[in-house]
Amino acid sequence: MSLAYSIHYTAENSYEHWVHKADWQFLIIPETNATQKFVSVEFSNSINAVNQFSINGYGFPTIRIHPKQQFKEISFEASFKLIKKEVNPYDFKSHSNTAEAFRKIEELDFKVDFESFLSPTPYTAMPSKYQEIFRFDSRITIFENLQELNHWTYLKIYFKTGVTDVNTTVNEIIEKRHGVCQDFAHLFCAIARLNGIPARYVSGFLHQGNGYFGDSQMHAWVEAFVPFVGWLGFDPTNDILAGTNHIKVSHGKDYKDCAPLKGVVFSKGSNETRHTVQVLGQLQQ
Amino acid sequence: MQKLENQIFSSYLRNPSLFDEIFDKKGDVKAVYQKLFDLYGAHSIKDYVKLNEKAKSSFFNQGITFQVYGGKENQEKIFPFDLFPRIIDSEEWDIIERGAIQRSKALNLFLWDIYHDKRIIRQGIVPMELINSSANYLHQMIGIDPPGGIYNHISGTDVIKHKDGKYYVLEDNIRCPSGVSYVICNRTALKRALFGVFNHYQTYTVTNYAENLLDLLETVKPKGVDVPNCVVITPGMFNSAFYEHSYLAKTMGVELVEGRDLFVENDFVYMKTIKGAEKVDVIYRRIDDLFIDPLEFKPDSSLGVPGLFAAYKKGNVTLANAPGTGVADDKAVYTYMPQIIKYYLDEEPILNNVHTYHCSRPDELKYVLDHVHELVVKPVDEAGGYGISIGNRLTKQEIETVKAQIKDHPRKYVAQPIMSLSVHPTYIEDTESFEQRHVDLRTFTVLGKDREFVLKGGLTRVALQKGNLIVNSSQGGGSKDTWVLKK
Repeated sequence: MSLAYSIHYTAENSYEHWVHKADWQFLIIPETNATQKFVSVEFSNSINAVNQFSINGYGFPTIRIHPKQQFKEISFEASFKLIKKEVNPYDFKSHSNTAEAFRKIEELDFKVDFESFLSPTPYTAMPSKYQEIFRFDSRITIFENLQELNHWTYLKIYFKTGVTDVNTTVNEIIEKRHGVCQDFAHLFCAIARLNGIPARYVSGFLHQGNGYFGDSQMHAWVEAFVPFVGWLGFDPTNDILAGTNHIKVSHGKDYKDCAPLKGVVFSKGSNETRHTVQVLGQLQQ
Repeated sequence: MQKLENQIFSSYLRNPSLFDEIFDKKGDVKAVYQKLFDLYGAHSIKDYVKLNEKAKSSFFNQGITFQVYGGKENQEKIFPFDLFPRIIDSEEWDIIERGAIQRSKALNLFLWDIYHDKRIIRQGIVPMELINSSANYLHQMIGIDPPGGIYNHISGTDVIKHKDGKYYVLEDNIRCPSGVSYVICNRTALKRALFGVFNHYQTYTVTNYAENLLDLLETVKPKGVDVPNCVVITPGMFNSAFYEHSYLAKTMGVELVEGRDLFVENDFVYMKTIKGAEKVDVIYRRIDDLFIDPLEFKPDSSLGVPGLFAAYKKGNVTLANAPGTGVADDKAVYTYMPQIIKYYLDEEPILNNVHTYHCSRPDELKYVLDHVHELVVKPVDEAGGYGISIGNRLTKQEIETVKAQIKDHPRKYVAQPIMSLSVHPTYIEDTESFEQRHVDLRTFTVLGKDREFVLKGGLTRVALQKGNLIVNSSQGGGSKDTWVLKK
């Protein structure tokens, strides 16, 4: 069984004065991987600027727009259709020897292989007073530890928009105890990395209509690397494992590598941006 | 202190404890300088004052100036030029040239490795902190194969001569090293002022830098390009090195552009011209990594070109130097240079590294604690000269404080012997006479595909303040024409 998704993304920007020079980059195209198969991509903008399909610095597909005419308003619309195979997040061969897994993460080769996803970033650097905030227990498996961390993160922060913004660091998250999916994901990454587990920030879409937190906009969750198993997805915002409801777009060290929309706009005066995301899933036999 | 007999050097005070480039320990003029010494000595100091004025105005008229930041108003200044050249004989130069090539190649291989398999780290030769605690390590560069396999196309290696008469490398600059235009202008200025002196020496030319740079940049063109279109990109006319950017573009015969003159379409880079868009293949960029592409790096940068990094990643354009080279000119990497050279080239370093003691190693810690008075102690993670203590300038009490700090956090500190830069007679305006001043030398090495070029000459920088060891243009330094002699 699988799900046929149809995703609709819009962004509307309006500016007080004429804009003469602007560049945008969208990182919103779902990734093609073992569980995600593409059917179609449609992309358009209101002023008929050329849509350039390219990649970001980590090789994920992007769309870039560079209008050649002036404008005060511009809107973008994207539609994706894709088939998502049913994912059972518990369907992996668990490694029975916990001690060996904990030894593995101490090896230099392991640390070198996953350097990108083990080192702190400005978003995920944990202040020294919180270094011991969540210690992994070597008596249970790494996967079980990560599940505990998922649950712990879910309980630690209350989902609330407007308290944090795109620049919020883990220190502020711990102190404010409120945040959105991005903050849950950063906190999870920070703690997993402190415990020697590679963790990467994932950006994507979430199936709507199941009452999940964070489904009205693009969503963020985490993939953590479990030795002898591989990358597994955790969604601390909803205290679940990433599965059939999660449509992955990109991953990176933190939000900065995955920002869905980047714009370089030279304009004066005020401006407004509105985004909408619609994700519809239909069961397929 | 001893006085010398020569019109112009009559008041030259020679401090015998310093290594003088033109006088030996006994105070005799070294053979290679003898002719020059006689020629200059035939002039009176009055002539010299006049010539000095002439040279200064020649620089102003050519517009060879630089900006001093800070202060109330930004000022255009000329880089003080000294009329008495520095001579490097062919044997000494051979060491410098081979050493500079060796270091540049080793650094290039090091960069390739740390952006690919990271073998040198896996084998425990350098610690992982060199990359994961460096702000200059660009994860976007992982797995990218730069055209021709070259990262540091242009390297500026700073060397000094210590009082033992040997050359030591102080720094490898492999981001956007500057100063080469001064080398060429210094030569021009000296030729205008004292043409005759060149008749007595067989000196290598320095004006061939631009053509060699262009030749070598063309060897690292992107795949599928026949005759590459090269440009120089500058942050703009307010940059302190703008003169150099325009000079290099002009002498290479290529366009000088700013970010706004370029655009990216379907992952190719184009230049706007009055005849329409023109594809660009090789960019000699004088903009720092984080400013080259606002969509990939600093979003508020208006200097770069949106989409440039994607074009680079797809192999459609060459950037010289490659993004992410900065990781290899960090202070911490410097201390591992002998091991890096040995590891990649299986050679002994030709140029000396200033020896570095790592306080994290117990035996070296003991040595450092016993010799604080004769060492420079530096924290490994601080930039900009903070927390540095120079042993011979500390009081007894301060030495004890430094020792205590090192004992508390041995991992945080490294120590190096205090280096004594050689001195060279330099004309000092205030006293209207020649005095000893400390000098260093910046060399310029260009790496291309299977070929390399070292400019036979370099920028000899002079610390104009008496006793000052910092020879930087922003710190009130000057420079000298530097002659490399043919065999």
